[in-house]
Amino acid sequence: MTALLSVCGLSVVARLADGDLRLLDDVDLDVDRGRIVGVVGESGSGKTTLARTVVGLLERNVDVEQGRVMLAGDEVMAPGVDRTDRVRGSAVGMVFQDASRSLNPLMKVGTQLAEVLRRHVRGITRAEVERRSVEVLAQMRITDPARVLGSYPHQLSGGLRQRVAIGLAVVTRPALVIADECTTALDVTTQTKVVELFRTLVDELGIGLLFVTHDLMLASDLCDRIAVMSGGRVVEEGAAEQVLDEPQQEYTRRLLAAIPSWS
Amino acid sequence: MSRTDVHPAPATQTPRRPVRRARTSVFWLSLPLVVVAGLVLVLPLTGLLPEPGQDLAATRRPPAFLDGGTWAHPLGTDKLGQDVLTQFVSAGRLTILIGVAGALVAIGPGTLLGVLAGYFRGWVDRVISVLIDAQLALPFILVALAIISNRGSSLPVLFLVLALTGWAVCARVTRSATLAIRERQFVTGLRAAGASEARIVFRHVLPNLAGTVVALGTLQIGTAILIESALSFLGLGVPPPSVSWGSMLASGQDELSQAWWIALFPGLAITLLVLLVNLLGDALLTHHDPRKRRR
Repeated sequence: MTALLSVCGLSVVARLADGDLRLLDDVDLDVDRGRIVGVVGESGSGKTTLARTVVGLLERNVDVEQGRVMLAGDEVMAPGVDRTDRVRGSAVGMVFQDASRSLNPLMKVGTQLAEVLRRHVRGITRAEVERRSVEVLAQMRITDPARVLGSYPHQLSGGLRQRVAIGLAVVTRPALVIADECTTALDVTTQTKVVELFRTLVDELGIGLLFVTHDLMLASDLCDRIAVMSGGRVVEEGAAEQVLDEPQQEYTRRLLAAIPSWS
Repeated sequence: MSRTDVHPAPATQTPRRPVRRARTSVFWLSLPLVVVAGLVLVLPLTGLLPEPGQDLAATRRPPAFLDGGTWAHPLGTDKLGQDVLTQFVSAGRLTILIGVAGALVAIGPGTLLGVLAGYFRGWVDRVISVLIDAQLALPFILVALAIISNRGSSLPVLFLVLALTGWAVCARVTRSATLAIRERQFVTGLRAAGASEARIVFRHVLPNLAGTVVALGTLQIGTAILIESALSFLGLGVPPPSVSWGSMLASGQDELSQAWWIALFPGLAITLLVLLVNLLGDALLTHHDPRKRRR
């Protein structure tokens, strides 16, 4: 069976005034349905660039130089090819770092959900929009969907906002969800709840999840596989326990050693 | 103040007071403006005003509260014996119309161009930015003289002048505001959710700009009234028989030594109106300044 998301030999460069800057260098990565793949690395390691390349949200001066991104067997990104507008929001959903800023502050949650649904589900009725909005918020373990739908983002707590943001990403029933540092702005308790939510979503809906984070411990809790990135390259990739317990690379060992511990 | 010196208040709390103050000042500044606009619109309908028209037997009569004045002409008469109050009210209607419509014709295209430049960047931005700089480099009086000497003075030509001289400032401000909004995460989020560019611009970016645009528009009303007054003073404003406060001021200036009341009332009215409108615009800007708004 082909992987849901398959990144092969991907190199991405930024064209700057004083020469090219390589953001991604020969990156390989697979995400299967019902699996969570963590991408871990320090700031500037290229993990966010990788996430954004998959959905085609690159800056104007950034190009794919080599390799390709395949989604369910279809090529969506390759040098000179960008078919991500067909999958963005429909086959791929994305969750961002800070939910307090990833929702339009002037629009009620219900309106924002309805907008995404109307865009991607042709001829959807009012009642159906309502039903699916409530359904997706319930999936997010939100106890009073009706109130949340009628609220503006600033009226919700941080954890609730992040659930709404995740809801916005999955309401169109995408096959792949990309979460870019989406727990970083949350406190540890809320973080744990969001991570548990992701686990159940992946198990219930059978989606594939690409989970980008700088938090190695969090990734090891949640992910089935982990890719460690540094300097635009994947330096180590494997099952989560294996990467954590028997790191093969010096970089991963140093990353693990950098985690403060009580002992 | 000494309290904040000892216990610095958290950053999120300090901005609350200016906002509340801005909100009340918005109310108290709007109130007299609404009253003036209402009076100027309603008074002619009540039949309380003296009949318009010339009365050569009663020229340069002083206002009622001075020696020799009568309540038949509360603000006196001009050199043709026309009632100053009647003229003042109908001139006020035209002046307010010019202020509001003149602001709209500048703000509309200005906002559109500013948002396009700020959102799409690239060559669109370069072209529009050069146009803004070029427009701001031209003194407005030069633009006005060129157009009016070519086309003659009329209301449409006046609005053309107001649009040409006003759009650039608005475009510059909305452009930089849009630059800030497009970098906000929810815009990236919308693109990731597959929303079209047109939808993002018109349904998400523009509403987030509304506060700034309303404030800019208010300030532009003041500017438009001043520009029209200046043009009228030069004889380039609204053509007779229409009168605006600016043209009343102009026709009263050579009578200042004998009949100062002809020029005084429209002069005062322009000053107070523009002052109020500008203060209101500033208050609205404060009210909508994201840095001063509680999130």
